[in-house]
Amino acid sequence: MELELGLAPPNDAGSCGKRRSAEAFGVKKPTLPLFLRDDDDDGDHGNGEDDTGDARDCEISMGNKRKRLVGWPPVKSAHRPRSNSHVKVKMEGVPIGRKVDLSRHASYHQLHHTLRLMFPSSTSHHGDPYAVTYEEGDGDWMLVGDVPWEDTVMSAKRLKILLV
Amino acid sequence: RKQKDNDTASLSTPSSPDALPAAAASPRAPPARASRRVASPGPATARAAPMGRGGARDGAAAAPPWHSLPDEVLEHAFSFLPAAADRGAAAAVCHGWLGAERRSRRRLAVANCYAAAPRDAVDRFPSVRAAEVKGKPHFADFGLVPPAWGAEAAPWVAAAADGWPLLEELSFKRMVVTDECLEMIASSFRNFQVLRLVSCEGFSTAGLAAITEGCRNLRELDLQENYIEDCSSHWLSYFPESFTSLETLNFSCLEGEVNFAVLERLVSRCRNLKTLKLNNAIPLDKVASLLRKAPQLVELGTGKFSAEYHSDLFAKLEAAFAGCKSLRRLSGAWDAVPDYLPAFYCVCEGLTSLNLSYATVRGPELIKFISRCKNLQQLWVMDLIEDHGLAVVAGSCSKLQELRVFPSDPFGAGQVLLTERGLVDVSASCPMLESVLYFCGQMTNEALITIAKNRPNFTCFRLCILEPRTPDYVTRESLDAGFSAIVESCKGLRRLSVSGLLTDLVFKSIGANGNCLEMLSIAFAGNSDLGLHYILSGCKTLKKLEIRDCPFGNKPLLANAAKLETMRSLWMSSCSLTLGACRQLAEKMPRLTVEIMNDPGRTCPVESLPDDSPVETLYVYRTIAGPRSDTPDYVQIV
Repeated sequence: MELELGLAPPNDAGSCGKRRSAEAFGVKKPTLPLFLRDDDDDGDHGNGEDDTGDARDCEISMGNKRKRLVGWPPVKSAHRPRSNSHVKVKMEGVPIGRKVDLSRHASYHQLHHTLRLMFPSSTSHHGDPYAVTYEEGDGDWMLVGDVPWEDTVMSAKRLKILLV
Repeated sequence: RKQKDNDTASLSTPSSPDALPAAAASPRAPPARASRRVASPGPATARAAPMGRGGARDGAAAAPPWHSLPDEVLEHAFSFLPAAADRGAAAAVCHGWLGAERRSRRRLAVANCYAAAPRDAVDRFPSVRAAEVKGKPHFADFGLVPPAWGAEAAPWVAAAADGWPLLEELSFKRMVVTDECLEMIASSFRNFQVLRLVSCEGFSTAGLAAITEGCRNLRELDLQENYIEDCSSHWLSYFPESFTSLETLNFSCLEGEVNFAVLERLVSRCRNLKTLKLNNAIPLDKVASLLRKAPQLVELGTGKFSAEYHSDLFAKLEAAFAGCKSLRRLSGAWDAVPDYLPAFYCVCEGLTSLNLSYATVRGPELIKFISRCKNLQQLWVMDLIEDHGLAVVAGSCSKLQELRVFPSDPFGAGQVLLTERGLVDVSASCPMLESVLYFCGQMTNEALITIAKNRPNFTCFRLCILEPRTPDYVTRESLDAGFSAIVESCKGLRRLSVSGLLTDLVFKSIGANGNCLEMLSIAFAGNSDLGLHYILSGCKTLKKLEIRDCPFGNKPLLANAAKLETMRSLWMSSCSLTLGACRQLAEKMPRLTVEIMNDPGRTCPVESLPDDSPVETLYVYRTIAGPRSDTPDYVQIV
């Protein structure tokens, strides 16, 4: 098979490969952004790459904090800074609660998986749809999933699973 | 006289008795380790000839032709081959050697649990006593693989229970091990001795209880970084009072309490205990009393190392450690009160390994402690040590071989604790340094070039600059020059992770110079397909390639499809791949499994999607087992 490779990216005159990859998954993105693009550090990239205007997923300004990417930096969850992050989990209609260690989970997917194991469908909801909510520092109850996973780990005081 | 190609498993025999089967020169064996002890002609075989079936030969007769050496002779010869690669090379010589080798192999390492079916592995190597199986791809460690992906240990345990009743050692890494698996292990192997579980999940303390109760000859129970559900079953209590064979006990990853009195009695009666790694539930004063019971320990992992300072606790610790003359390896979760560190000074001189990667202790006490460890070979530490701490390490630990520096605040404000200076100092002053994992905030080409010049002996170089695409902070250029210097200088480099701002050019250098490279990790790098093409068309010995967030597309993948069969696996996530190319790859290469992974929220079948659909994650691996049948709904095999 013939491979034609030039120095310029295959189908584009002028924009960098990064934007190509942006287009590649700019479509059909699910509502939960798995990662954020770091578009605020253009000043650091002296190579003339044009990062601005490339935002697809939501950009959340976090002040001085590094933007959160899934799985970056590549440290195992055991090596991440541990707060005492065991939080109580209660499920609507289930008398006995559980505790889950948020810092042992690397993503929302892993949390949902653990919760499904802790509260199997046989107990009360028989596979009905449910929503996982968490209590924030100021007492408000929020739906999990809107903010990057790491932020939820830091701010969640306890969880409640509600039947929808 | 016919010349035989070393690599073919030839059916016909060498035509001349003097033709030396050149198994030792097989290209598959890593050059440095190629065995030179594979049977040499002459006196050695004449001496060996009377063994086994060929008993009629007398010692003075001519050496027997190679093809009629009895199996026992071959098996005995093969038992001296140190590396699995050498045994594989020997097996490729001819059918006779193939049979003798596979029937006598004792240790089997399956680096990808889906590369072969468990039954086939057990049938092929019926005498295995020690098996190691690895499951999920490496990036699963960082949360890039959603739960229920697969890698279940159960089929392997079932096949082993059936075909390897004499199995003594079992090791699983990144696999799902259930309590049922542990129960089956406990009841299937009467001489089971070693259980090692690394980065596994799916089991609880109830499963551990089955092991401690059922494995009467257990020597090692080594649990590293697993996620273990705490069922509050007193698994430690299930060791019978008559049980004394334990040599290694590592439960550092366990969250819950253990019965300390039971632990103490266990430690007292297991006189061969060499490795003891406790969990966070064991406070300092209890550590002291355990050490008094087990002064013969070689490796200790302390539990929770924070306690208010008491002068008598200090004295207790000091006395306990003074009794441990054999202690060589130390680790623990040291939220330490630095004031306790001097209690350990007596063991510093003997330490070869120090793992403080969970320790938030910092400051002059920490550095003073490390500086006394003159014989340290392995140091794992947090970036709280800072550049000046590493400068002290450079000056004190001249025997250092491996350094790992972890980020204390990976998501934080970017306060730079550690720069390139620390690594430059250590690599300048530690002549035996060959393995580095370094997380830092900034880097320059000049530093990397200096490091490369000082340390051409690196075998493993993993640099992670915390912010993706960070350039040389002085020149603002890419770090191409720096990493190129590394691969050009370190001719024996086997593992490399790159980071920072990098263009396709660095991959040209890696492809051309990475002649021993086996594992390469790339993130947020490159500008076009060319980057991936350089890697796949170069890097002759590449086994594992993992890539995330790079602008690499379909063309280099398809152009280098054959290369993928020479590798163990390829991971590409958040790149520029489309479904059509994956389909073509799968069709072209029937001995590869091409797995596509999309967001678990989306489960539409892959058959219905058009060729230009983007592929979020691609995981490709060679296999002789065909496509696996246990994929979750978010994984599709193309």
